[in-house]
Amino acid sequence: MKTVKRSGAVASKMALVRFLVKRAATLAVTLVIATFIVVIIANQGGLVDKLIISEIEIGVAQELNADPSYRRLPPNDQARVFRETVQERIRMRGLDQPFVTKTFRQTGDALTLNLGLAQDTYGTGSYRLGTIIMERLPRTVLLFTTATIISAVVGVWLGLRMARKALSAFDRGMTLLSITTLVIPSWVFGIFFILVFSFGLRLVPTGGMVSAPAPREQPALLLDQLWHLALPLATVSFSSFGGWSYTTRNLVLQIMDEDFVTAARAKGLPERTILRRYVLRAASPPIVTGIVLALIGSWTGAIVTELVFNWPGLGLLFLQAVQSTDAPTIIALTVIFAYLFVITVFILDVVYSLLDPRIRALGR
Amino acid sequence: MPAPVVGLRAAVREALRTKAGLFGFGMVGFLLALVIVVPVLAPYDVISSWGESERWSDNPYSAAPDWLDAFSATKAARTKIVEWNLLQGPTRDRVDRFTYSESNTTELFKIIQLRARWTFAYDGFPQEIRLQTLYWSTEQPVIAIEWTRPDDENVTIYQASPQRLGPNVETLSLSSMTQPFNVLSAVRQWAVGVGADPVPIEKVRPHIALFAEKGPGMMDPSRAKVLKGYYSMTITVFNAEPSDKMQARFTSFGTVFGIAGTDHLRRDLFIGLLWGAPVALAFGVAAAVITVMAQVILGALGAFYGGRTDEIIQRGTDFLIILPVLPILILIGQLYQISIVWTLLIVVMFNILGGTTKVIRTIALQVKEESYVETARSYGASRLRILFRYIMPRTMPYTFALLALSVPGFIFLEASLSFIGLGDPVLPTWGALMGDASRNGALYNGLWWWIAFPALGIVFTTIAFALLGYAFDKVLNPRLREE
Repeated sequence: MKTVKRSGAVASKMALVRFLVKRAATLAVTLVIATFIVVIIANQGGLVDKLIISEIEIGVAQELNADPSYRRLPPNDQARVFRETVQERIRMRGLDQPFVTKTFRQTGDALTLNLGLAQDTYGTGSYRLGTIIMERLPRTVLLFTTATIISAVVGVWLGLRMARKALSAFDRGMTLLSITTLVIPSWVFGIFFILVFSFGLRLVPTGGMVSAPAPREQPALLLDQLWHLALPLATVSFSSFGGWSYTTRNLVLQIMDEDFVTAARAKGLPERTILRRYVLRAASPPIVTGIVLALIGSWTGAIVTELVFNWPGLGLLFLQAVQSTDAPTIIALTVIFAYLFVITVFILDVVYSLLDPRIRALGR
Repeated sequence: MPAPVVGLRAAVREALRTKAGLFGFGMVGFLLALVIVVPVLAPYDVISSWGESERWSDNPYSAAPDWLDAFSATKAARTKIVEWNLLQGPTRDRVDRFTYSESNTTELFKIIQLRARWTFAYDGFPQEIRLQTLYWSTEQPVIAIEWTRPDDENVTIYQASPQRLGPNVETLSLSSMTQPFNVLSAVRQWAVGVGADPVPIEKVRPHIALFAEKGPGMMDPSRAKVLKGYYSMTITVFNAEPSDKMQARFTSFGTVFGIAGTDHLRRDLFIGLLWGAPVALAFGVAAAVITVMAQVILGALGAFYGGRTDEIIQRGTDFLIILPVLPILILIGQLYQISIVWTLLIVVMFNILGGTTKVIRTIALQVKEESYVETARSYGASRLRILFRYIMPRTMPYTFALLALSVPGFIFLEASLSFIGLGDPVLPTWGALMGDASRNGALYNGLWWWIAFPALGIVFTTIAFALLGYAFDKVLNPRLREE
């Protein structure tokens, strides 16, 4: 009897390990391919290299023509010196390798987080991508992570209320509103809110993170920043609460129909206790998963929302990098987002498989 | 619990019985009607000339919709065009004519006179005034332009000789900074003469001063009051040769225009708005149909065949769900200036597998085990027949719901790309209109109609599909049903 049980436990442990290895492999492959695709696109399939080489040729030609000893050489020697100088420069920048090799090297560098230098300082005074990204990241986190927390808390709370008053006028109205906010992205709400609150009512600034010129003293500066944060924060929170309230409502209603809830009701437990002890406990894993995923997702910001609010975070950095075809920055941002996302998904997989035996049984 | 709904037709019937379904179908129906009407209202050649500035040169720039007057106590100026035979461009509707007269002074010379007379009864000043002239001369005549106001003031605002012989086209933008100096100084000299406070020459605005009541504030846009009544403008050519000809076109631009106003390049936004509907609808529905059908087929295929096929499809789905589409689209759009068809192709490529694959796979796994499928298998139906005739139809209602629900996402994806300015380079999509508006400060300068109308268009369209999807969802998941 005992041995059977143990072998069952071993088998399920094996299944778990096999499942996690499979997931890790998929995620790793996704990470590598996504990075590789972005490296190829960002380099325009080698076009950027050709541009750099022609720039080098022009530069060398100008340098040599300014050199009197070069101009005294016979034409044949001139051509040879020119060719050699250009070749040396190309070798120095690593452009002599075939494009494919270079792509693989860049992908490898990106995957080992060897980010290198950007082509612009993006207002930080440094070309180091680590510095640039670390300046932008807190701003994005401040806006989007805060908004995610607010919308999740409000949304889940509303969803519970909607489920308790299911099919009432309140529930129907909120369901409709939830679906509307679920479908419409935050940047579209942003446009309407800017029109109403910034332009119409003149309550808040239309965009940016601080006034220009920014206040010098601390309390004033902080207040100014909060004043600028208010509208984007409200917009992003408003545009994403619907997803939480709608899913929470449906989840709770679904669980309310389960036998164990009916049994609890039969025992005569008060509705409040049933909701807290039975329904919420069963509903929380998917909700928590969603919240964790959204929190990590919020680190990437939102490109168009940051553009609408002129919020200088990572999304806007990506857009600026794309518009100046700054390949190193594009690749760095992509690979960081990809890592964050993949690691989160994997952690969730681990937690899930430990919590839910069905996943182990199914093996996927 | 109500009985589960089987079959697409039953699902549609049930969905139509819910309020959300009724509204959803109604809104989509309205959009489809619009798609049929749009090519009649605004033919495609209008859109292909969206980027040409000449086509729109008769409209004011950044003008508000004219019906806004109904909510305001004052009436904003409308655009007035008076012309005589100008060769460029066909004669348009709503265009008045100059009265033309010639008189001979001697055998050798004649006087040509063009006179325009119109009523100006608005509470607001025009946006600008412009005069285009086309003159054939053999010698050097003198052209004079005289402005007559309701208070019988006469102002000679221009007097000069054409610089070159032969056909001579001249555009006098009478109110911009680049206009000939003597218009500004003539207007200033006259205005000061009738009691205006003097202003520096670069601050003279003929379209204000010439239309303002006499008084100290007539050259100050914030103090000037409109003088209503009959205005006339006379263009006189002295010392013209008998063979000389004169044509002219005078435009007094209003500050309001049409149903949806105009943008910074004078384009009629209503036409852009109208065309936004078919473009958004076509893009959203095409992307949704192709990707959802592909995902459904691949999901059912995986469930039906199982084994390695299923494994590959599952892993591919995991991969594509994680891949960020918008950043990649932005990157491609920036580097290659892609048209909307290419955008569609790339979007489809990155969504060939996705969430729908997983949903349909789960449903197909259940259907596969049902007895009628067993029966079909037992009498030797081919695998493809079982898959497409017996399993797939059962997933159709879900497919329809997922299809409706995925349309908004695709519409907004295209709109995001266009908003950034990386969308189709030719078509005026709703996203592109909003992007134009945003880049030209519509949000900060209060040109709200420019950005709010296209935004409302997108919101309307996406909510229509969301309602449809929601109605289907309710019908198909009995737990969410209202009864």
